[in-house]
Amino acid sequence: MSRVVRVFLAYLRAKIGVMLQYRGEILLWSIWGIINPAVLYAMWSAAASGNENQSIAGLDRGGFAAYYFVMMIVGHLTGAWDVYHLGYLIRSGQLSPMLLRPVLPIWETLADNLSYKITTLMFVVPMWALFAWLVTPRFETSLWQVGMGFIAVLLGAGLNYMLCHTAALLAFWATKLDAMGEIYFGLCMFLGGRFAPMNALPGPILAIAEYLPFRWMFAFPTELLIGKIASMNEALIGVVIQSVWLVGVVILYRLMWSVAVKRYTAVSG
Amino acid sequence: MSQIEINNLCKTFRVPEREGGFWAAVRSVFRRRFRDVRAVDDVSFQVDEGEIVGFLGPNGAGKTTTLKMLSGLLHPTAGEAKVLGHVPWRREAAYLRRISMLMGQRSQLHWDLPAIDSFLVHSAVYDIPADDYKKTLDELVQLLDLGDVLKKQVRSLSLGERMKCEICVSLLHRPAVLFLDEPTIGVDITMQTRIRQFIRNYNRKHGATIILTSHYMADVTALCKRLIVIDHGHILFDGSLEALSEKLAPFKVIKIDLDRELDGYDLATLGEVLSVEQRKIALRVPKADAAAVTSRLLTDLPILDLTIEDPPIEDVISRVFGQPKSEPKQPANASSAVSGGAAR
Repeated sequence: MSRVVRVFLAYLRAKIGVMLQYRGEILLWSIWGIINPAVLYAMWSAAASGNENQSIAGLDRGGFAAYYFVMMIVGHLTGAWDVYHLGYLIRSGQLSPMLLRPVLPIWETLADNLSYKITTLMFVVPMWALFAWLVTPRFETSLWQVGMGFIAVLLGAGLNYMLCHTAALLAFWATKLDAMGEIYFGLCMFLGGRFAPMNALPGPILAIAEYLPFRWMFAFPTELLIGKIASMNEALIGVVIQSVWLVGVVILYRLMWSVAVKRYTAVSG
Repeated sequence: MSQIEINNLCKTFRVPEREGGFWAAVRSVFRRRFRDVRAVDDVSFQVDEGEIVGFLGPNGAGKTTTLKMLSGLLHPTAGEAKVLGHVPWRREAAYLRRISMLMGQRSQLHWDLPAIDSFLVHSAVYDIPADDYKKTLDELVQLLDLGDVLKKQVRSLSLGERMKCEICVSLLHRPAVLFLDEPTIGVDITMQTRIRQFIRNYNRKHGATIILTSHYMADVTALCKRLIVIDHGHILFDGSLEALSEKLAPFKVIKIDLDRELDGYDLATLGEVLSVEQRKIALRVPKADAAAVTSRLLTDLPILDLTIEDPPIEDVISRVFGQPKSEPKQPANASSAVSGGAAR
């Protein structure tokens, strides 16, 4: 096992230990993660039912149930919040102990991210099951779409994490990033297909979204997993686009990190 | 052999500033003002292998900034430094694995976990072989008396317990160079003594090179043969404690205990009266005059006891910074002449 993997697993064990200290907190975060897609499902399915052809953007009530059920899971697995978390560590000087260690701080913040996703499973899985039982989603998914969807979720998670972490590095210049964090999450919601399925977006906005990374983090894996991406060719192109974005963002991260860390002021002791 | 070499190191921070008050806050939205603060200005020194150096200065003198540059946390504005042959701010893993920086006000431990969990993470991060880790941990636990503390959540530890854990985690990978920034801050005197003893033992046993900053002079006198005094980013002094005392405080403190109280004897003619507490008197006299003054005191006064001491390090340092710490103490109604009894 390589040293970085050993270090990452050690961080992950410790971070899971931290999360498990606060069972009430992880229950509340789990509920928070469910509320948003559940409300959006209720809104869009009601709108679709009121429509003449009982559907919007090619999704009827059962289609919206599947879309938001899967988006619930995809949103959980691909979530990232480093723009707040790392931004705070930089601003408060709490990055200092992490910088003194002979590994990049990103391994610790990544372990932090993953520990949340793992520990909250004990609460979110029953909630997902309850949601599915209540809304009866209708899937048109074949086995290859599940396989490709799994890959797309992994790439989407990597892309969102790296982009969010890289955006957080702006704290080395701007100090406080809370507002930028809100914009980032707004873009994820709107251009990532979380607020509405991509096909429901107005044409020009959809065209812009094609050239931005957000849809590849959330909407693309979701569409694959509910069977809306019918051709293998289209799925493969999507996975390639995700990979290109991921590689590009990793390069951007390395460049930004090497410049940003020189600006660190290590405030407060 | 030098393990730390610094040449003309400088660090300038650009800090925003404005006048106080609401309208100044509004104006600052449109017109932001910055000031360049030169925290470290042309600092050069070397530290040999196994040396313990006290790095002293008042708040804002540039001590911590220098240590942060040496540990790779900060990039300098100008100058060069090499520690263990590495340029610190390149932050190479091979360098970071051989140093440790203990910041009294900044924890390296996971707040919500027992300390032992942080130690385990540390062993993975520093790639410490399992046998070495166990051996070192057992040794540190014994020396720092950490047995009961290891399983407690860090957030519930007392400050002294936490500092012991911070020291333990800093030393688990056996660093060759240690930067200690206020290692005894906030802990009680007994714990301060234990921490000092431990640092001295670590230095002796492993030949570690240590730079220490502290506001407690007892830390410095107990551990450091060499002092570097810094103020406003400049080095004011680099040498031994004795040389500092010789150079900046060339006087002795003569303490006498009298058989009876004096009346009208003008002690101010002999030196500066530091304190008069009933029949105990302390005088500060130039070093060159110490013998003559002692002789005169023994001749003129009913002396029960007399000691000649070097001035306290606090006074010496205060003189360096031009801020006298211990002003001559006078009884509320007395001048330098002692009243009350008859002079012999």
